[in-house]
This record gives sequence, structure tokens and C-alpha cells, in this order.
Amino acid sequence: MKKAKTKQETISDKLYYPFRIAILISVIFLFIPALNPVRISGMINRNLSLFTSGISYSALTAEFGRALKKEWVMESSLRILYGSALVICLGIAANIASGCMSLGNHKLKKLGNLISVIGCVAELAGMAGTYMAYGQLSQTSKPDRVEPMFASGFWPAVIIFGMVLVLALAQIALLAGSTTEKKFAMESKYKLFLLFLPFIALITVFAYLPLTGWRYAFFDYKAGDTLSMEKFVGFKWFQELVKNKATVRDIANTMKNTLAMSGIGILTSWMPMVFAIFLCEMKNLRFRRFVQTFTTVPNFISWVLVYAIAFCIFSTDGFLSSMFVNMGIWDEGRNLLMNGDHMWIKMWAWGTWKGIGWSAIIYIAAISGIDQQLYEAATVDGAGRFQRMWHITVPGLLPTFFVLLLMSVANILSNGMEQYLVFENATNTSSIMVLDLYVYKLGIGKGSIPLTTAVGMLKSVISVILLFGANGISKLLRGESII
Amino acid sequence: MAKTAQEKADLKAEKRYEKTHKHKYRIKIGDIVFSILNYLVFGLFTLACIFPFYYLFINTISNNDLVIKGQINFIPRGIHFGNYMSLLNVGDLSTAFMVSMSRTILGTALMVAASGLVGYLVTKKEMWGRKFWYRFLIITMYFNAGLIPVFLNMQMLGLTNSFWVYIIPGIVAPYNIILVKTYIESIPAELEESASMDGASYMTVFRKIIWPLSKPILATIAIFGAVGNWNSLTDSLIYMQSAPKLYTLQHRLYIYLNQASNLSALMQSGGAVSDAAIQSALSGKVIKYTISMVTVIPILMVYPFMQRYFEKGIMLGAVKG
Repeated sequence: MKKAKTKQETISDKLYYPFRIAILISVIFLFIPALNPVRISGMINRNLSLFTSGISYSALTAEFGRALKKEWVMESSLRILYGSALVICLGIAANIASGCMSLGNHKLKKLGNLISVIGCVAELAGMAGTYMAYGQLSQTSKPDRVEPMFASGFWPAVIIFGMVLVLALAQIALLAGSTTEKKFAMESKYKLFLLFLPFIALITVFAYLPLTGWRYAFFDYKAGDTLSMEKFVGFKWFQELVKNKATVRDIANTMKNTLAMSGIGILTSWMPMVFAIFLCEMKNLRFRRFVQTFTTVPNFISWVLVYAIAFCIFSTDGFLSSMFVNMGIWDEGRNLLMNGDHMWIKMWAWGTWKGIGWSAIIYIAAISGIDQQLYEAATVDGAGRFQRMWHITVPGLLPTFFVLLLMSVANILSNGMEQYLVFENATNTSSIMVLDLYVYKLGIGKGSIPLTTAVGMLKSVISVILLFGANGISKLLRGESII
Repeated sequence: MAKTAQEKADLKAEKRYEKTHKHKYRIKIGDIVFSILNYLVFGLFTLACIFPFYYLFINTISNNDLVIKGQINFIPRGIHFGNYMSLLNVGDLSTAFMVSMSRTILGTALMVAASGLVGYLVTKKEMWGRKFWYRFLIITMYFNAGLIPVFLNMQMLGLTNSFWVYIIPGIVAPYNIILVKTYIESIPAELEESASMDGASYMTVFRKIIWPLSKPILATIAIFGAVGNWNSLTDSLIYMQSAPKLYTLQHRLYIYLNQASNLSALMQSGGAVSDAAIQSALSGKVIKYTISMVTVIPILMVYPFMQRYFEKGIMLGAVKG
């Protein structure tokens, strides 16, 4: 039975919302390098988060070797700084724990508040230590080299930590008084949620946080820079995609390859189905099993290994060359991989070699699900082998085929990059360059981050639109959703 | 003697039988041609799938001189395993092998454990905000911030040039979670209810009931996860730009395959060279083939076990949760 809440408890419940939000913000401080409050010198890596500073002394002081040797900086101030970072990390951890406990019963909340106060005191002590280290560091004899600076995240961090402390103290005051509860407990809905919470954090960090990287598409950014409003360029990079002649030519070529190779894939997407139908026509089960086993193997090797296979068969001293040379047809070995003709077809062929056996499995499973009586009835009515295939098997497989076809239409811009990366060489680069590979080469290879981010952004948006379009078509035609 | 009506009918039936029989006979010729063609085409394609692996293998165990001359095409000659032994001396290869192995084992173990737990949690209707969080998870399958933002994100988190970039981002795998969730939903709810009645906590129910019962699906995702981890090249390529010690085996193989020059020099500089005679006989070709074999062997070894889970995995994939 639930008791009616006292006035104090109602206030306490409301005050817990800002409390939890403040703790969440302090967690953000833990992981975002730009907000690192212990970055008190330009020599501390810009990409170092508070968390990394707190767990790794070597990462924190990676670039101080020379400064320490020349005694521009005292080792003790670095040690103070490291200790402070560690203490702040522990304090935040304590606050996370208390934030979780705030979902529990009265007794658990009280314990949580106590832990929170301890955590906040630790955090503020850490901030004081950081301030002290900064004081020592700024008295260096070489300020231009050590670059003492006041971390931009320092005062915001102090404010947040102070806020948590105040709120925790308020909670202690509100929830004072003895409780009748004997055990720590929590409602099961919150228990389940807290079990899920670490995974929510992972999803947020690795799937949603990268979306904030889209802002780079609107700035003039080079690797290692910081973003500032002076470098804001609006839609310059998007305009570049349609105005700059060299870029337009590259993009047009890339799009041509991407669409052509995806198009060939879509046009031949019936092949696994035919593979499965004809495979099931074989009466010898052992042979069927044999074929199925070995045609599926290539699906499980990486594209690098597919290239290794291509290399051992088609390169200068590979199988084909040595066969032809031994037979006297060729004078010397030829490297067929260094031939850029018909790249689209070749890439399709490798994709088929690798994937057809695997793609056929889903159809084979579907065929075994078709009612055998249909075949018997058709045979009695005088239907031949091909008639049975066409009028019974194919209609039975069409729903599966249709779903896979729509999915491949939705993925028309994503052909992946590994296949094209491994097969790319000087002779075929212009006809093998697909969108994913282009983004990789330009962004990671040449450091053209804003432009490639813009391209990636457009690609993501178009892909999502295509997916929903495909889903809409599916709903319209079959009354079933594919996502 | 006049034939009775009965006899006439019999005769007719007989004739009709012969007719249909003849017809069947004709079809049989067509059948045989079809079958021969069918078996032939499938046989040839299967051969095309097996032969490269066989060719690769016989070239790594045959006499190196013959291999270099291109004499080993169908039958191995002068069998020896020296090539595999001498690979052990190439330091960066054993490092890469260890990196690939540890990421495969650790990454798969964590992914399977997480998928099991999350798959279980999202079946619990009483969870706070279950629908919202489940969608929050599933939506991530359908969009991707793009290669560069993801890279910058990893850099910001300090995960570039760190082993953990192979492990942590892969822990939550939405697709596998759906598979596990669908499977757990098929487990009779009474089992769990009776345990809860006896006072078992959620974690106890998960460990004692759900986990053992969902082993088939967990094995399926484990195997696919392991293959994915082992085969992964892109993350090594992108995130390990200044940490060559953390390159995966696939990345190393990629580098070796792209080295045009004779690699025996590299093997000699690898240190701890014991048998100079073998070393000098090794050419780039043999090394490339041997490394390829080393990379493919683990896959071929787990393949027979995987086969059991193929159809289960792919059919479950067709059923969405």
C-alpha cells in the first residue's frame, strides 16, 4: 500500500530532476575533451578528456618530457594535477551512483545523498587541486612554451559540481528523520531501467553522439583545429559539391560508378533465387549438401582474402599465368588485376562469387516451406518441371525476393568500401571509385574533413529517405512493413 | 469372337497408357539433359569456390623453387611446412595475429553477453520507458552519421590508436539484440514467472533460466560476431593510423599483398632468423600465399560448426521483432 506523500517528499521528488540532470552534465564533462577542466596547459593534448586524464598519468603528461627535463615545470605540480583529475573522476562516479540510488526507496535515497555529498566534496577538492597546479604552472620561466591557460571548462565544472552539492544537501534536509523502511529497495521498473542504462550510454555515445560531428560540414576545419565561429562558412561545402569543377567531376564519376555497380547488383538480384531453385531440382541430396557447403564458404572470408584469392589466380605469377605460360599460349605471365577494363562487371562477378551461395540459403529455406501437395497436384495435372518452377516455386519465393529487392534499393548508395579498396589500383581507380571509398580516400587520406562530412551527411539523409520510401511501397503493395 | 464392351474399354486404357508412357519417356530424355547440365553447372561453380583455396594451400606446402617457377598447379610436390615455421619469425605478423585473436574473443564475448542481457531486458514490459528505449536502440540500425563524423567522434573520445576501439563500439549490436529478443519471447513465460514467485531477482532469472535456454541463438550470434571481428579491416585501417602494433591480421595481409617488392628481405630483418637457406628461397609470392592461408585457416576451422547455425540465423533474421 502506498502512503500519501508528505509535502517534503513531493518537493524532494521535484528537486531530484535538476539533481539528476546536473549529474548527467558532469558525466558529459567527464568525456568531452573540449570541456576538460584540468587542461591547464597548451601542452596537454587537446583531445584528452577528463576521464583519460584521470586514469592515465602518461597520457596526461605525454608532452611534458622536455619541459620537465629543463625544469620549466615541476613534477609535483603535474602530480597534483593528475591526482586532482583522478579525484574528480571518482567524485563523478560517486555522483552517478547516487543518481541511480535516487530512484530507490527513502532509505536508499538517504544513502545516495550522503554518497553524493562525499562525491561533490571530492570533485571540488579536485578542482581546488587543479587551481593550485595552475598557480604553480603559471610561474614557469617559459610561459610561451608551457602555455599555461585556464581551461574553458573550469568554472562551468565548478558551478555544476557546486549545484549538485547544494541539491544533495537540500535533499538531506528534506528527507531527514527516521524511516520505517528496513531494507534498501527499488521499484522493479527502475531496476530494469538501471540495468539497461549502461547500454543506453553506449548507444548514445557511439550512435547518436557522432551526429554532432555533422557541424563540421559548416566550418572551415582542418584536422587538429578547434571550431570557432570565425570559421563558420555556412553552406560553402555544399555549394562546392555543385560548383567547384574538379569536385563536381569527381563526384559525378563516383556517383556513376556507385549507381552502376548497385544497379548491376539490383538487376541481377534474382540470381540467388534461381540458384536456389535449380539447386533444389537436384535429386542427389549428398551432392546438394556438398554444393551448398562449399559455395557458402566464400561468404565468410574477408574482402582482403578475396583479393588474396584473386591475386593467387590472376596475378603475374598466379595460376592462370603459369598455366598459360606452361602451355605456351602466353610468352610471359600477365597481371590481369592491373587491367582496368570492365571493372563494374568484374566487381559484380567477385561479389557474386562471394555471396551467391549465402544469399541462396534464405530461398532454399523458403522452398522447403512450400506445400509439397501443390507440386503433386500440378504433376497430376500434367505440369512439367519448368511449369512447376514458374507457377509454384517462383510465386512462393516472390515475397522474400521483394523484401530483399526493396532493401537493396534502399542501400543503393552504400556499396561498402572494403571490396573496392582492396581491388583498387592505379589502372582501375577511376572506374572503381564508389561513394564510400571516395569519402574514405578524401576524408581520412587527404584530411578534407568538411567536404566529406557534407557528402556523408547527404548520403545518410538520402539513404533514410530511400528506406522509408521503400517501406512505403512495401506497405502499399503488400500491406507489410519491411523495417 | 466379338469383343465385349469391357474388353474394348481395357484396350483403350492400355493404348492410353502406352501413349502417356511414351510421353513420359520423352520427358525423361529432357530430364536427363537437364540434370546433366544442372549437375555440371553446379559442379563447376563449386569447383570455382574450392579450387582457389586448394591452390593457395598446395603452393604454401610445396617446394618453394617449384612454386616460384609456377610448376605447382594441381598436385603438391616436395611437401614441407617450412614456410609456416618461418612466418613465426616475422614479429609484426604474430603481433597482428594476437591482436586479431584477442579482439575476436573479447569482442564476441562482450557482444554476446550484452545482446543476451539487453534482449532479455527489452522483453520486460514493466521497464520504465521500455518502448521509447527500445526504439532508441533500433533506430540506430537505419542511420549512420557517416565515416568521418564517426572517426572524429572516436578521436574525441580518445579511442583512436587504442585497442578498445575494436571492442567497445561493437558491444551493442541492435540486429543481434532483435534476434535474441525474438527468441526469448518464444520461451514460455511460465518458466520465468514461477522463478519470480520464488523470489528470484531479474539477474538470477536471466542467469539461471533465460541464458541457458537461449543458448542456440546466442551461439548463432557468437559465430557471426566472431567471423565479423576476425574479418574486419576497416576499423584497423581508419583508427590505427599511428599504432602499427595494433593492426589486425587482415590489415597486415592487405599491406603484404600490396607490397610489390620481394619480401624475403623483410623476413630477414624480422630478426631471430634461424635457417638462412629457407629464408633465401622464400619469395614474396610464397610469403603472400602463406599469410593468406594463415588468415583463412581459422575461418575454415570454425566453418563446420557454423553451418549448423546458418539457416537458423538467416531465418530468424527474416522475422522481425
